[in-house]
Amino acid sequence: MSVLKKKPRNSEVIRIAIAGQPNAGKTSLFNALTGSSRNVGNYPGVTVERRSGKYHFEDKQYDVVDLPGTYSLSSFSPEERVAQKELLDNTADVVVVVVDSTALTRSLVLLAQVIHLGANTVLALNMSDEAHAAGQFLDLDLMEELLGCPVVETEAHKRVGAQKLKSVIARAVEQPGEPRPPVLGERLSGALISIESMLAGTSVKREQRSWVACKLLLWDREFTPMVEAQGEGGIEAVAQAAVLRKQIEEQTGEDISVFVAERYHGFAHGLVTETLRQRPRDDARVLSDAVDRVLVHRVLGLPFFLAVMYAIFWVTFTVGEYPMGWIENGFALLADLVSQNWPDSTAPALRSLVLDGVIAGVGGVVVFLPNIVLLFFGLALLEDTGYMARAAFLMDRLMHRFGLHGKSFLPMLTGFGCTVPGIMATRTLENERDRLVTMLVLPLMSCGARLPIWMLLVPAFFAPSMRAPMLGAIYLFGVILALSLALLLRKTVLSGEEAPFVMELPPYRVPTLRAMTIKMMERSWLYLRKAGTVILGVSILMWFVTSYPKADARDIDQQITAGQATSQEDNDSIDAVRNLKESFAGRLGVAIEPVFKPLGFDWKLVTGMIGSFAAKEVFVAQMGIVHSLGESGGRSESLREDLSRNYSPLAGVSLILFLLIATPCMATVAVTRRESGKWKWAALQFFGLTALAYLISLVVYQGGLLLGFG
Amino acid sequence: MAKKDGNQEIKLTASLEDYLETILQLTRAKPVARIKDIARARDVKAGSVSAAMKRLESLGLIRYERNEYIELTVEGARRAQKVLSRHLVLTSFFEDILDMPADEAGAEACAMEHHLSDAAMDKFVRFFEFLRTCPGAPSNFLELFHGCRRLDGEAECGFHCKDPACLDGIWQRNTTNINALEHGQEGTIMHVGTAPAIRQRLLDMGILPGVKVKMERRAPGGDPVWIRIEGYQLSLRREEAEGVAVEL
Repeated sequence: MSVLKKKPRNSEVIRIAIAGQPNAGKTSLFNALTGSSRNVGNYPGVTVERRSGKYHFEDKQYDVVDLPGTYSLSSFSPEERVAQKELLDNTADVVVVVVDSTALTRSLVLLAQVIHLGANTVLALNMSDEAHAAGQFLDLDLMEELLGCPVVETEAHKRVGAQKLKSVIARAVEQPGEPRPPVLGERLSGALISIESMLAGTSVKREQRSWVACKLLLWDREFTPMVEAQGEGGIEAVAQAAVLRKQIEEQTGEDISVFVAERYHGFAHGLVTETLRQRPRDDARVLSDAVDRVLVHRVLGLPFFLAVMYAIFWVTFTVGEYPMGWIENGFALLADLVSQNWPDSTAPALRSLVLDGVIAGVGGVVVFLPNIVLLFFGLALLEDTGYMARAAFLMDRLMHRFGLHGKSFLPMLTGFGCTVPGIMATRTLENERDRLVTMLVLPLMSCGARLPIWMLLVPAFFAPSMRAPMLGAIYLFGVILALSLALLLRKTVLSGEEAPFVMELPPYRVPTLRAMTIKMMERSWLYLRKAGTVILGVSILMWFVTSYPKADARDIDQQITAGQATSQEDNDSIDAVRNLKESFAGRLGVAIEPVFKPLGFDWKLVTGMIGSFAAKEVFVAQMGIVHSLGESGGRSESLREDLSRNYSPLAGVSLILFLLIATPCMATVAVTRRESGKWKWAALQFFGLTALAYLISLVVYQGGLLLGFG
Repeated sequence: MAKKDGNQEIKLTASLEDYLETILQLTRAKPVARIKDIARARDVKAGSVSAAMKRLESLGLIRYERNEYIELTVEGARRAQKVLSRHLVLTSFFEDILDMPADEAGAEACAMEHHLSDAAMDKFVRFFEFLRTCPGAPSNFLELFHGCRRLDGEAECGFHCKDPACLDGIWQRNTTNINALEHGQEGTIMHVGTAPAIRQRLLDMGILPGVKVKMERRAPGGDPVWIRIEGYQLSLRREEAEGVAVEL
């Protein structure tokens, strides 16, 4: 595995890795170094984000990787494993450790570990402006001497210190410093040396042996079997580690993990004590604490929280409606332009592809953009001010009951507007399992695109007095189902040791517009490039299955001569309904009609549902077509009458439930695939929800029939 | 029936408690425990171990991994830890105070550890700690012990105690956990004892023995809690906070 592999290196390009704890300003520093060139994606197979970029300095190219934020390099969370793997693979020429100068001791523990791991390290003391303002001053020269590695003060959010850091990095590449191994006390150092000596015969790199020895001492679940597989030396080292661990635990009366953590903290604490020239005042956080007394107040906290959430929701969807309208009009205009200048007769198939497949597809991708841009601006604001941690603090009890996290609240709320930005918002959750659970149940929050469906169906099947309660019940049922399903997922597919919640509550900070804009643009670009391509592909596929093969024109002519259709308008609508019925989607609908019969659906409803995979609201248009009313008939009273004539209210309820639960739209599937990193999760979401919908609708419909409804 | 914070704890049979204890001991020596290890350690058939494991799993105290590896859940680890510490305290009592041979002491402890109530055990531990940490106590130490208990925390126990650690160490040592701290109350962390993954994160975030901690506030409903540690602030869920022992 990672430790034991040697990678070929390209000496032309210098590689930098940035390590740091969450909230230390790691990403700001990354942005300050790389400017606008960056590439955001996922590490393969996990939902951990990988951000990379580059910059040029003194005619050399530097490739920068922003490692996931971790408090230490233990191997419990995917983030920690990823960060550790990148560092051990030794692909970086220089590792920049970013620390929060206002929480020095805790932050320096990570530095101690990176040095221990044998990396060529540069220390960036970030947020130095805040530390200075609080009256904290350090002897940087002494610190460099004690650590044996360069130390730079930075204010990453204002891009102060970036140039200095670049030149220090350049120097560190040419003359690697000799970081002194952290002083970990006689007992631990002695133990490590004795284990280390046994690793000599293995392929563990020399400079990493002490680190691996420490991992063996801690009985690390990844390293122990890996080293054991290294033959005699490895087995001996593991056995020695076991003996020493027992010895240390007996002598100190502490668990080995506590003992080792104390040694690292001891080193960091000693370093701070020695280099501190002036202590920070105790009142540095007074203002932030005063704000907290109001914003997370026992009584005022929740109303404020709900107001903030509502404001974000409102901006995302209500304000977002305007640009969405412009985009829709723009694409309609484009389609008009094409259709006017492209006569029906020349290459009609290509014309239809361009008009109904490509233009509609690209439009379908871009139309989400305003929502995503606005939502991520709001999220960046919450994260950069520090309110996000407070929000999670307030909501965690409620969400945790259902196996979710306090930070799951906002993505789920967003789901009421649109599932796609909701799923993208799960990035704010640090833990992979929390993120997956939230993502998978999100489609159950009845999204805005389903509202036109409810507007069509509810009045068709229910008396006026019942309509509002029904609509409320639909939303409520979705929420209850989402929460129950989250709990179920936690107990089954995503079970396992609960991830720690322990979360830092950083002081409130004034966010910079620049940082927020970068975050917003990153997300939007990620959406367009990664999810957009899938959505466009599926759009074209949907266009194909709903328009091909074409109905035989003679069939329609016969119907016309037989006097079944009288006016031109009727001709068109019969044309459309036949086309749809003859298409692959229609044929599929007819073919699987027997499967849906027990739910009270006929082929028309099934075909409409197949069409609604493109986008939920398409169902309404499809209903218009299959009931021979044309697309425009979708909202009309006549369609409702038609529906209430053809289907019982019980079938209506069954239909509503099915549409609420089943088959998220293709954009949701594409985004879930992107954000979870695996098709597996998108498939589970798609088939799981559809199966659940089938089951619930079946029980409701058949149960209703037995009880004599319908 | 044992009660804790008002939550009724499911009463386990002695044999199930023993199994938990064995799993805990095994997982300390190795990353995972297996059926056959447990069978060997307890000298029983693998079949009866499987049956017991099913029961424990249904109670949510353990997890099977790949149908062979067995892991304690957070709750399971807590229960096992409780039994184990009782076992250790009782063994040590029989062995050190009553001067019994080690094997007999172990057997007595095994029989007793399942039946004492939490309250009785707590008193027992206090008494035992007193005996151990008050070497200066005269032959009438039982009297002294009762005298001290009546005053409950007061420095004067009616007798002049030669060893100040006796007073500081026991009666004034008021241990509790982070979750039990009142709003604004401060304490010093004594022990961090939760499931390994959570413990590591707590340690990484500076929750270490000897560090001062202050309760700032609670979320509506009392969970999670908001604490202050050496200049920075953290939020912990109730079960995480309960795993960290503090001294007032």
